[in-house]
Amino acid sequence: MIHFLELSNHILFLYYLLSNLGYLVMLTIALKTSAAHLRRLESIPLDWFKRSPMVPPITILVPAHNEERSICTAVRNLLDLDYPEIEVIVINDGSSDSTLQIMQKDFRLRLVRAVYIPQASSAPVRGLYRSDVDPRLTMVDKESAGSKADAVNAGLNAASSPYVCVVDADSVLERDALLRIMVPVLADPKRVVSVGGIVRVLNGSEVEGGRMRRVRLPRKSIEVIQVVEYLRAFLIGREAWARGNMLMIISGAFGVFRTDLVRAVGGYRSCAIGEDFDLVARLHRHLREQGADYRIQFVPDPVCWTEVPSDVRSLARQRARWQKGLLDVLWPNRDMLFRPRYGTIGSLALPYLWLFELLAPVIELGGIVTIILAACFGVLSQSFFLQFVIFGYAFATVISIGSVLQEELTYKRYNDWQDVARLVSYCFLEHFPYRQLHMIWRLQGLWQYLRGDLVWRPLRRQGLESAGADKAGSSPAVVQ
Amino acid sequence: MGSAFETFRKLGPAAFVLKAIVFTIVADVLLLGFILLRRTYRRRYFARRDARQFELRQSWNDLISGTIPYATWRTKPFDCQLVETMVLDAFEVAGPEESARLLQFMRASGLIEKCISDARDHQGWKRHRALVALGRTRAPEAIPALAEGLRDRDLETRLAALRGLGRMACPEAAEEILHWVGEAGLAVPALPLQSALVQSCAERPQILLPYLQHAGPAVREALGRVLGEVATASLGSELLQFADDSLPELRAAAARALSFAEPRLAINVLSELVKDPMWFVRLRAIVSLGKLSQPAAIPFLLHGLSDSNRLVRLRAAEALVDFPAEMVPIFEQLIAMRDRYGLHAYLTALENAGLQARLESEIRSGKQVNKRTKTILLEVLRTGMLPAETKPSQKSVSAAVGSSS
Repeated sequence: MIHFLELSNHILFLYYLLSNLGYLVMLTIALKTSAAHLRRLESIPLDWFKRSPMVPPITILVPAHNEERSICTAVRNLLDLDYPEIEVIVINDGSSDSTLQIMQKDFRLRLVRAVYIPQASSAPVRGLYRSDVDPRLTMVDKESAGSKADAVNAGLNAASSPYVCVVDADSVLERDALLRIMVPVLADPKRVVSVGGIVRVLNGSEVEGGRMRRVRLPRKSIEVIQVVEYLRAFLIGREAWARGNMLMIISGAFGVFRTDLVRAVGGYRSCAIGEDFDLVARLHRHLREQGADYRIQFVPDPVCWTEVPSDVRSLARQRARWQKGLLDVLWPNRDMLFRPRYGTIGSLALPYLWLFELLAPVIELGGIVTIILAACFGVLSQSFFLQFVIFGYAFATVISIGSVLQEELTYKRYNDWQDVARLVSYCFLEHFPYRQLHMIWRLQGLWQYLRGDLVWRPLRRQGLESAGADKAGSSPAVVQ
Repeated sequence: MGSAFETFRKLGPAAFVLKAIVFTIVADVLLLGFILLRRTYRRRYFARRDARQFELRQSWNDLISGTIPYATWRTKPFDCQLVETMVLDAFEVAGPEESARLLQFMRASGLIEKCISDARDHQGWKRHRALVALGRTRAPEAIPALAEGLRDRDLETRLAALRGLGRMACPEAAEEILHWVGEAGLAVPALPLQSALVQSCAERPQILLPYLQHAGPAVREALGRVLGEVATASLGSELLQFADDSLPELRAAAARALSFAEPRLAINVLSELVKDPMWFVRLRAIVSLGKLSQPAAIPFLLHGLSDSNRLVRLRAAEALVDFPAEMVPIFEQLIAMRDRYGLHAYLTALENAGLQARLESEIRSGKQVNKRTKTILLEVLRTGMLPAETKPSQKSVSAAVGSSS
């Protein structure tokens, strides 16, 4: 028993070391890649793209379920984006509020007999509407199937552009975000099949008329910790994985895909919990099986601002759902593991996700249990344990500060000294007790999935303007 | 007192962890220090730059005209870099007169030579930056340096040179690009190449033709697309040689370009291209037929309505809707064709253009249509279904959505 405890403690130490070393490698790659990207941007005339006939059209798909409060502002902003040719398709996913009626009134929508070929499966479509105010706007009114994937599929069936961009109705896109996200496609349209943009935390910033007015750090600790997490995940993780063409997730809040390929893989999987992750995994599988020379890219400068949970309960639900989504994708794709035909996806990206993302909470829990047992049996070296905790804490802090540094060196959205100071201080504070709580939420997610509990639990959201400006007295609404 | 290393050795297995702690704490401190120092440095640098920029802007006209001797700022690296940036930014918004004045200033002050030598003598990002700057000036003397940049080993540098030449927007730049493509093939992705050529060939599209005849398939495909974008009526019969080319992209380009040609000749050729086995050639032909706006094109557009490809059908329908004077006869012929997909495409285009009510009133008021035909036309318009399959009880929209589902 004592031998087992010693061994498991060593394994835990090694696991932690490997995990952080992995992040350190990713940080180095990300710093280099971002610097190259920024230099490359200098020669790319975004202004010219706006008028170029060579730029491919894009269909923006906006699934909307009970979004009456923000849908019109969101659609108006999308139609106002800098891009030569866009089509906006709003999918009213069986809203029980007046999303459809408000849209009908604001954009003078009229029922049309448009061609709709259901290549990707979705719940029945009740009607297609086109706007008399702006012919680029279409609305698909469908019955709800209770999933965003199903709604996106309906929009996909109505899309007529070679590229589709999926955007959340409650997110804010920067004006040139589409042009920027299309830069890799324009540079290499044959190989680049999909591009993800960065998603940043909207909470705390000032939003006016659906547009970002001033970027500020949120006030609540729980929100600031998520800012650090998002910086780490996007500016380090995704940047580095994309560099090796191993990007496994393109955020559902903002990503561009080649329409024909999404249709070829059958669109989004309606019952998927993490539909964005699932789609990218299936795209990798499809393209690797075909032996295609392709790239799935990440671009760190086209920004999509999104609201994150601002209370512990909602955050717990979100993280549990993410963990369920992870297992829901990794398990069906387990046959890709270590198979040569799937290249680095099967040999590096997926094993990493299994070991350092999916199993992380289980291993962490195991570690805590063995440490307690070792202490009970008197085989725990107190000094070693203390040193291990300090080392783990300091190492993890290096990574977090590294992501803040990456932000500072490159995109520098937080200009206020106070904001940066707070951001750095949360790099030190996030480890206790947030990290432990996070582990519990993820374990809950795994447990729920294994029990077959796949129910969607709503998150409390404040809506664009109130989430951004932190206005006093704003009444939070429950939205999907 | 023993050394620090001795202490570590005595600590045994914990030594590694202790070292790691020291390293990570040092790393934390270094990272924080770096962020702090960088912020402070940048704040001071930008304040200084802003102040100097303000000073320079106050005497901008004297600076540009040379009243202030060039030596006063050219010898100071900070000032020189600032002036260069300001001039290059000014190019972006300058009209022809102001551009000429700025270019004259760059020549007189030797800034253009500086950029050219930077582009020639440096490698990597420095060369890349100089090439971008040269492209922004649109100075003809920069073309050779940019052309040399096309032959760089680094893809990013080649792309910067290509974009620079594209910005020149002159036939001389196009010649350089085409010459390079002729010898190196597609050494960059097609889209940036096409973009640069579209900009630089617009003035004289004829320069594309010899390269189109002799290049390899991949280059011909890329150049064909460019031809389709820049072709004008001046190309005339020269386009015809590509209408039966073995490469579908060139046939598509010819079809696209024929929309600028003399209508009678164009319709003759396009009427053949609408039967092409390649869908995108048919699509281009249909779009061009639509652009010609000639009633003689209507039969071919109607043919396009029953195409096997959805996009071709939609474009044909959009083109047919652009003939408001012929709406009723077109609708009659369409029903006679008994093609349900074609009918839906036409009705979609009609509704998108907001012309459904107009067609309805024209059918009602039409004198050349008998009463029975009128009833059938109105019923089809209302239900979206061909006469034999009409089910009056169904709502039109759900029928359309359902039937195509």
